[in-house]
Amino acid sequence: MMTKKISDSIRRVDAVDKAGGYTQYISDMSFDELHYGRLVRGLRSHARITHIDLPALPDGYYFITKDHIPEGGKNEIQQIGTDWPVFADDEVTFYGETIGILVGPDREKVLEIERSISIEYEKLEAVFTIDDGLAMKTGLINGTNNTYADYHLNKGDVDAGFARADQIIEDEITTGFQEHLYMEPQGMVAQYVDGDYIITASCQCPFYLRKAVANVLNTDKEHIIVRQAVTGGAFGGKEHFPDIIAAPLVVAARVVGKPIQVVFDRKDDISFTAKRHPSRGIFRTGLDKEGNIVAMDVDVTINAGAYMSCSNIVLQRAIFSINSVYDIPNVHVRGRSVATNAFPSDAFRGFGAPQGIFLAEMHLSHIASHLGIDPASYKQRYFISKGDTTITNGLMHDEVKLPLMLEKAAEASDLYEKQRLYATGSGKGMGVSFYNHGAGFTGNGEKEIIKARLRMKKHRNGHVDILLSNVEMGQGLQTTFPKIAAAILEIPMEDISCDNPDTSIVPDSGPTVASRSLMVVGKLVERASQQLKERWDESPEVEVEVKYIHPEGCQWDQETLQGDAYPTYGWGVCIVEVEVDPATAEVETKGIWTVHDVGIAIDEMIVHGQVNGGVIQSLGYGSLEKLEYKDGRFYQNTLADYMIPTSMDFPMMSSQLVDNPYENGPFGAKGLGELVFDGASAAFADAVQQAIGKNINRIPVTPEYIMEVMNS
Amino acid sequence: MVKTYRPENLQEALRIRRETHAVPLAGGTDLMVRYRSWAGTLPKFPWPVLFINHLTELKTMGLREDGLHIGAGVTLSEIEREMEAPQALRAAVSEMAAPALRNLGTLAGNICNASPAGDAVCVLYALDAQVVLTSLSGARTVSVMDFITGPGRKDLNDDELMTDIIIPHANFSHVSYRKVGTRKANALSKMSFCALAKTKLGRIDDVRIAFGAVGPTVVRSWETEKKLLGMDADDLKDHLSAIHDDYDAMIHPIDDQRSTAVYRKQVSLNLLDQFLQNLVKEL
Repeated sequence: MMTKKISDSIRRVDAVDKAGGYTQYISDMSFDELHYGRLVRGLRSHARITHIDLPALPDGYYFITKDHIPEGGKNEIQQIGTDWPVFADDEVTFYGETIGILVGPDREKVLEIERSISIEYEKLEAVFTIDDGLAMKTGLINGTNNTYADYHLNKGDVDAGFARADQIIEDEITTGFQEHLYMEPQGMVAQYVDGDYIITASCQCPFYLRKAVANVLNTDKEHIIVRQAVTGGAFGGKEHFPDIIAAPLVVAARVVGKPIQVVFDRKDDISFTAKRHPSRGIFRTGLDKEGNIVAMDVDVTINAGAYMSCSNIVLQRAIFSINSVYDIPNVHVRGRSVATNAFPSDAFRGFGAPQGIFLAEMHLSHIASHLGIDPASYKQRYFISKGDTTITNGLMHDEVKLPLMLEKAAEASDLYEKQRLYATGSGKGMGVSFYNHGAGFTGNGEKEIIKARLRMKKHRNGHVDILLSNVEMGQGLQTTFPKIAAAILEIPMEDISCDNPDTSIVPDSGPTVASRSLMVVGKLVERASQQLKERWDESPEVEVEVKYIHPEGCQWDQETLQGDAYPTYGWGVCIVEVEVDPATAEVETKGIWTVHDVGIAIDEMIVHGQVNGGVIQSLGYGSLEKLEYKDGRFYQNTLADYMIPTSMDFPMMSSQLVDNPYENGPFGAKGLGELVFDGASAAFADAVQQAIGKNINRIPVTPEYIMEVMNS
Repeated sequence: MVKTYRPENLQEALRIRRETHAVPLAGGTDLMVRYRSWAGTLPKFPWPVLFINHLTELKTMGLREDGLHIGAGVTLSEIEREMEAPQALRAAVSEMAAPALRNLGTLAGNICNASPAGDAVCVLYALDAQVVLTSLSGARTVSVMDFITGPGRKDLNDDELMTDIIIPHANFSHVSYRKVGTRKANALSKMSFCALAKTKLGRIDDVRIAFGAVGPTVVRSWETEKKLLGMDADDLKDHLSAIHDDYDAMIHPIDDQRSTAVYRKQVSLNLLDQFLQNLVKEL
């Protein structure tokens, strides 16, 4: 039976199978005559390949390279750009770039052959940091100045603002790489059957995969069938990166004629997949005599790596997030995505917003501390409200409930009393962060690029199929989509299916990204369900199809990046309490309190799951997840060295929701998957800087870094 | 293919060890990880493997005249629960890895790993622990600190098996063990610190101070410890900075993927100072 309110929790449809270990992931699936593939990578940061010494291959074993790309096919992967080749084209431009793929039926034998392949190189100079990339130390990697994009945002009159400044506060704040560490590593199986390529993949975006490889194979998209395998976590790491595995794999599948599996071991997955972009923000902020901000000039750079991938879209969200929940007068933001020989960075939960928000939250905290004002109170002065102007000169359409949310979080955490008790530098501190996340694609992406379509089908027996391309990857979509439909159709959940998508069956409702699935596609489910309900008795079988409708009043110019960057926002407040050990600088997190506005929760338990996971992942990013790029490669590449938090590290969390229904989301729901990641790292760092009485300028805030700051 | 042996008893194990020099594997929590290979293929051990996990002769633990004996097959979990085991050792063991690994891993394996970051090893240094090395020709007993000769290097002949660990009797009025890990659970050490002291009539009667993961082997100085013997609160107070300087000169950590030399050194000295200052107060 349906529950009374849409928010009331029901049992997830995948709960028993996943908790019980019955679920079949890609490595559990059986295929006849399955072959195994290993990517042969260029283990140089920048080098010309001069010779590949290949042992004699036994029958049934293949080494596939760019020479095997079918006639008319291109050695380029169709992502947002096409710069990333399928196989390194004579030159390796980052450590781990694919040169070939070794395939065979026996894994021991494949390993043995791999060990005897020797590749000779001529070394070329490489750069890894934002500064060295910008300085073009080794010449040009991309464009005319080693950037993939150079954006400017202007709000108000920055020069006039600075002219009124009484003092100027400068800051340089940075964030590091972050590994996704989805529980299930990257994996897929590709096969070539009667002219069709079938890719069964752990992935977020089946239609992206199809598009990525079509030009490589020089074939019609309809001949590429992508079936999503149960996906054990993704966090953005399976948005574009599966393209990089699928492209060489389909080339091999055509040559070998057998299904081929590529599944990364954990160490390969950490060493050789894309990460969150490292970022830097250089701030110059003018204050008047009362300490009010009169102008702000920000230079944001992200380390994009050797190929563009989706870096420019990440950069856009990073710079749009520089004022996040604040209405600050007279702002200029420059944003550049910098080309280097680092492993290309890519999508990761929050997609640039966590970087932008961290940089800005810390800078505002530093200003407040400089003025001797508590950061939370200072930031409150600038809370944006409905009708205010955003950083892209758009309109804030939402009712903003931040003051209420702060009140709730402050009460739950006893913020003001603890702030009074814990003197700055006392070893104890309360940190507060505020954040929002634009839900869905940037600007008019949904309207111009995605154009989502969705079908629902009633069968003779009354069973309903929801046909869409968004995937269950742990976030609960295979429960929440049917839940929306069940509530409208007034039929039991068991009578509705929402299976893993197959591109030859489902319409393209877009990728599973950008906190868009439940809000944008869920709205389509709602509308399709309403239509199906109206036509239910029309005939024994009824099929309806709906298309995305762009919200009225949302204007956007993608050329100038002006207007309403997002149709709506989720909102958050996070408070963290810490105690710093004076001998070891280890941080004990005493409490975490959050309040989020996600519109309306479609299922409270699922929302809380997202809040808990996102906040803890963000705290890991802020405190533990050190990932150094040393000698051109990731230095912490095992689970023994790359530290994500355990429940012992962040034991206690209280989370609350406030309702704030959004008319273009189903039942008023907004996107939340990324929102809940965006702010906790800043709250943690803020708490530490209160506790030690000195500014924190980067994450992760490790004990080593805290000790360095304490000693300075 | 890797050649493996599963002997019926210790005697047979020793014979196989002499004949094949097969490497003993008890819990396998280090070796299986170190020699892991591509999923679906066998671990790539470069030598034959001798399974000893099931040998009952190695499973005993108990007090004897010369101290607590811990068989080489005794798991970390069993030590964690053993009331007769020294407090510092139980503390160290309880913070190692995760419960599932502690149910498999052995203290003997941890010692044979000869890692300068082995948490238990730091405590065993402070406890003057010894190991019994047995071969078909007999048994010899050496101290843990003589047994471990460098990172991954140990004084173990290729026909010997470690069969027992002996922790001599001793009582301490002050016990301090601190593991500074990469996170709060299931973590490797950035450094570890073990300090034990016994006071008698307001003076230091026995003291041992050991630092793990700050050099090629655990750092412990008999010379400095000797200086501390007999001190009362005032003496100790007067000598705090001299003692600090002694260890400052001895501790030479490195930068690696887990931490930095600067941090390791400063934390070592901070924990030392903290321990000695507490001792001043309590003498």
